[in-house]
Amino acid sequence: MLQLKNVDVCYGSFKALSNISMTVDTGGLVVLLGANGAGKSTLFNTLSGLNRPTAGDIEFEGTRLNGLKPNAVVSSGIVQCAEGRKLFPQMSVHQNLMMGAYVHRRDRQGNKRRLNEVLELFPILEEKAEQPAGSLSGGQQQMVAIGRAMMSRPRLLMLDEPSLGLAPLVVKQMFETIQQINSLGTTVLLAEQNAFAALKIATHAYVMENGQLVMEGDREAMLGNEDVRKAYIGA
Amino acid sequence: MNLFFQQVINGLTLGSIYGLVALGLTLVYGILHIPNFAHGALYMVGAFMTYTLMIDLGSPYWTAMAGSAIIVATLGILLERLVFYPLRHSPPIHHKIAAIGVLLFLEATVQLFWGADFRRIASPYNGILRFDGLIIPEQRLLIICGAITLLIGLQYFLRKTMTGATIIAMAQNRDGAFLVGIDSNRVAMMTFGISGALAAIAASLYAPINLVYPSMGNLVIMKAFVIIILGGMGSIPGAILGGMIIGFAEAFGGFYFASAYKDLISFGLLVIILSVRPQGLFAKGAH
Ligand SMILES: Nc1ncnc2c1ncn2[C@@H]1O[C@H](COP(=O)(O)OP(=O)(O)O)[C@@H](O)[C@H]1O
Ligand SMILES: [Mg+2]
Repeated sequence: MLQLKNVDVCYGSFKALSNISMTVDTGGLVVLLGANGAGKSTLFNTLSGLNRPTAGDIEFEGTRLNGLKPNAVVSSGIVQCAEGRKLFPQMSVHQNLMMGAYVHRRDRQGNKRRLNEVLELFPILEEKAEQPAGSLSGGQQQMVAIGRAMMSRPRLLMLDEPSLGLAPLVVKQMFETIQQINSLGTTVLLAEQNAFAALKIATHAYVMENGQLVMEGDREAMLGNEDVRKAYIGA
Repeated sequence: MNLFFQQVINGLTLGSIYGLVALGLTLVYGILHIPNFAHGALYMVGAFMTYTLMIDLGSPYWTAMAGSAIIVATLGILLERLVFYPLRHSPPIHHKIAAIGVLLFLEATVQLFWGADFRRIASPYNGILRFDGLIIPEQRLLIICGAITLLIGLQYFLRKTMTGATIIAMAQNRDGAFLVGIDSNRVAMMTFGISGALAAIAASLYAPINLVYPSMGNLVIMKAFVIIILGGMGSIPGAILGGMIIGFAEAFGGFYFASAYKDLISFGLLVIILSVRPQGLFAKGAH
């Protein structure tokens, strides 16, 4: 579904990503592990068209993605739920969700259906529909962020550290929801530092260090790997 | 009582004009982070377009105003495309320099074609309404009602339509707007277009009780900057309320103190308010 070949990304003279090659298969739940500053967000923002690769190729369902503008990327079916959520804080929860449907704004019927599906995933958002998104708790804001991304009808959903700053119980629910989204047919690319919880729901995983991919494997291989356990799971 | 009421009308009139001009300025600043010093020149061009359409081409007042709004909106969009868009990755000082360049260019161009003379636009609404001894000039009533109508229309557009919501979204979270697929170019052009149209309409409403000349925008834009600093940069309600505060302060200050110093009032108020509330009156949670 998604293929990266030898992708480099620079911020000025600083090379944030070098020689990234990876594959995401349709239907998978691929986890990208890496410490703070490894380059996970840079990779996601490059896929979203917010950064430009300085070298390499990005291909999504057979079409070249590099150089596309963010709105074209969303229309093509790749949607990011970004680190820090990037909600519209003074808009209501409902408005935030509907902004997610922006690229499908002419299909009102479809959006209504989609909204119901999203509210089924996050029933609490129905109660909070008229509240400003900025007034919600961290966990609920994360639900709005994922819900908004789902309103864009992604075929590939990128989630950048959705568990960041949330209470353990909320994190557990969050990962269950992510698995549910995946099992309902959306391919997921998930960046996380919370390695154990993420690997438990993964089909495949990559490990990133200092802008490079240093390891990859399926769930069992990663969970069983000594280095991964030492570095990310602490056991 | 009557004199007092007269000053209320004057305050509302001035406040409406200042509010409309400041609104365009604050929209561009809030969404694109450009302090558009050329906004006063758009206001001035708006007055000249209405003048030309009415006096030289014989259009009725309303048609001239609509034509002027369309022309200046287009001019605003062109500015965005030709001047500010190419500078989007440059340091902010370049925007400011470019805006001042545009201001000088527009002033010089207008002076070249129309000359530096003071001109007048005669409004078809030059009558006076009387209510029980209270006097309202028709044009002033028109200004106040026009501004209120525009504000309601703009508010409806921004809050109730998807296209308007893209502008609000861009102001509240730029990256968030990109991630839902909003096209930043479209929003930037729309914002400049609206801002230009508001300036042209404000100028066309105000011109019949004022003079039209190439540097007429300068004092207005300075006051508009005072207003959006007072109101919190980027805040829509702040721009309207700030406009009213300055309008009333000038009307009453000019009447009860000295009208020769009325232009000083806004700057005096700026100094006082900023020393009490440096973040502006509505800095938080406005939009
Ligand atoms: N806009 C930016 N400009 C310059 N450097 C950046 C920028 N964003 C991130 N970086 C740098 O790139 C590296 C990778 O950052 P990031 O992609 O945010 O990592 P992660 O998401 O894995 O924590 C870090 O060293 C960070 O300091
Ligand atoms: Mg990150």
